[in-house]
Amino acid sequence: MTSNISAPPTGPRPPAHARRSSDRPSPRPRRTPSGTPRITLRRLTGGLGTVLLCLGTVLFVLPFVFTVVTSLRTAADVARSPLGIPHSLTLKNFTNAFSQIHYGPSTLNTLLITGLSCAAITIIGSLAAYPLARITQHWSTTVYRLFILGTSVPVFVVVAPLYLLMRDLNLLDTYAGVVFIYTALNLPVAVFFYTSFIRSIPGDLEEAAALDGCGALRTFFTIILPLLRPVTSTLLTFISLQIWNDLLVPLVFLQDPGKRTVMVNAYSFIDPHTVQPTTLFPAALLGVLPLLVIFVFLQRQVVAGMSAGAVKS
Amino acid sequence: MFHRRRATMAAFLLPAITVYGVFMLYPLARGIYLSMTDSLGGPIAHFVGTDNYRAMADDPKVTAALWHTVLYAAVVVVVQNGLGLLFASMLFRRPRVRKVLNVVLLTPTLISPVMAAFIWSYLLAPSGGINVLLDLVGLHGLTHVWLGDTSTALYAVAAVNIWMFTGYSCAIFLASYMSMPAELLEAAALDGARGWRRFVSIEWPLLAPALTVNVTLSLIGSLKVFEFPLVLTNGGPADATDTLTLLVYRNVFGGGKFAYGVALSVVLLVTVVVLSSATSSLLRLRERRI
Repeated sequence: MTSNISAPPTGPRPPAHARRSSDRPSPRPRRTPSGTPRITLRRLTGGLGTVLLCLGTVLFVLPFVFTVVTSLRTAADVARSPLGIPHSLTLKNFTNAFSQIHYGPSTLNTLLITGLSCAAITIIGSLAAYPLARITQHWSTTVYRLFILGTSVPVFVVVAPLYLLMRDLNLLDTYAGVVFIYTALNLPVAVFFYTSFIRSIPGDLEEAAALDGCGALRTFFTIILPLLRPVTSTLLTFISLQIWNDLLVPLVFLQDPGKRTVMVNAYSFIDPHTVQPTTLFPAALLGVLPLLVIFVFLQRQVVAGMSAGAVKS
Repeated sequence: MFHRRRATMAAFLLPAITVYGVFMLYPLARGIYLSMTDSLGGPIAHFVGTDNYRAMADDPKVTAALWHTVLYAAVVVVVQNGLGLLFASMLFRRPRVRKVLNVVLLTPTLISPVMAAFIWSYLLAPSGGINVLLDLVGLHGLTHVWLGDTSTALYAVAAVNIWMFTGYSCAIFLASYMSMPAELLEAAALDGARGWRRFVSIEWPLLAPALTVNVTLSLIGSLKVFEFPLVLTNGGPADATDTLTLLVYRNVFGGGKFAYGVALSVVLLVTVVVLSSATSSLLRLRERRI
């Protein structure tokens, strides 16, 4: 199941080419004399389409380019002509924003929370998915359905009772509390991913292992877990993006300034309605910088992961 | 031997059930109970039945927020998926630019909603990027106080949402395009089907599962939108962009109307579950008929 999902970036090229090459010559023999101008017309509209497509895409990244350029200009320069050519470039805006949103410590906090949550979600989720995929009994289907139910519950629905619970458990203002919340919120997706993946693995190997006296725990770690690597990377791109970018959970559950995440600091220190773009934009860029760096390195996996994550659910 | 094995396997479920039960199912159940009390978040709470819900029916802010939420979701679902489909079908026909443009379109998806809202709050400001650009190309008449006008604010916020996630919709449609059987497309080409005709009778039916996923995801996502209206307008002007989530947040944390806020969150849950399950089952039914 997952093999055809991770396929898109590599696999599909040949069929597309095959389609193109057979698509074009076939009409030619049918209407040889009058067909030629139609083909050039088609090529023209095709070329026009490509130009429009590129323009449309540029329109989508233009705000980004504008953000980068503006954050490198001085405030006076921007005030003079917001869309003009920059006269001189400066990194001062970035150093200002860096200290204003306490970038260093808040990045470490975000990294810690994202890392711990991702680890918990993948470990607990894959462990739970194994029995759910292999035991076909009434109770296991019920448990599975209960997990799937969670995919459509917005955080907002549980945020108030969760706040009371965290207060009662003394977990307010702790990393553990936030990690627990993220784990519970994302377990449904993880269980869904892993269960459907394990179901597509034939059980022969496990049966052989069982006959050789291999226990369930060892079977899971030696046979199932190594096979889960591709789904795990897909799942991780999906989940880490969500957790890194989230505002609500850390905003509500981490009041201690020393524990705040990048998004909370950016949100609480910067008011977009009164602040200059030269303060606003560097802060926005710093917030996404770590993700963009990872994206550049893992571009293919991220693209595959984002579309696969959706095609599956 | 196999019996004991199954018991060990079942034990693997324990950590997941514990965390999920304590931090998800229990709060969910307690939330539904709290919505029928007069709780202020403290230890004292009295059962008041459906009082909170009845108060909501008379609260113009709630009816307005519900309407804004649904309208916002409708605009986002239609425009975002329409644009995503347009991009995907054009990209599919152009293998040479496909990969690069797909990645470029996905970049807005990577940034956080807070950061996207930061960028756009300047672009949409009265003297910000969009208006300056319109002036520059001579379209002075189109300049507008996008976020300050009650008639455009909600759509402006929706536009930012659409900007951020169109690439995502496009990637899902494109993945579905890529899994189309080549023989089928070849056969269609041999029969002379191309352009609009090919799209309507071959591609559109094959895209049905991707459409279901895209519509369901964007619907759930836009119904629970929070960061965009919070950062861009904070519900204003004159409550024109107040959504259910903003109302929940404001009542629960700082409104002094804790139980009322919780009841609002139950309304949000019902809205999301009813609309998303109705839509996805309708679309699944359609998939089967095709």
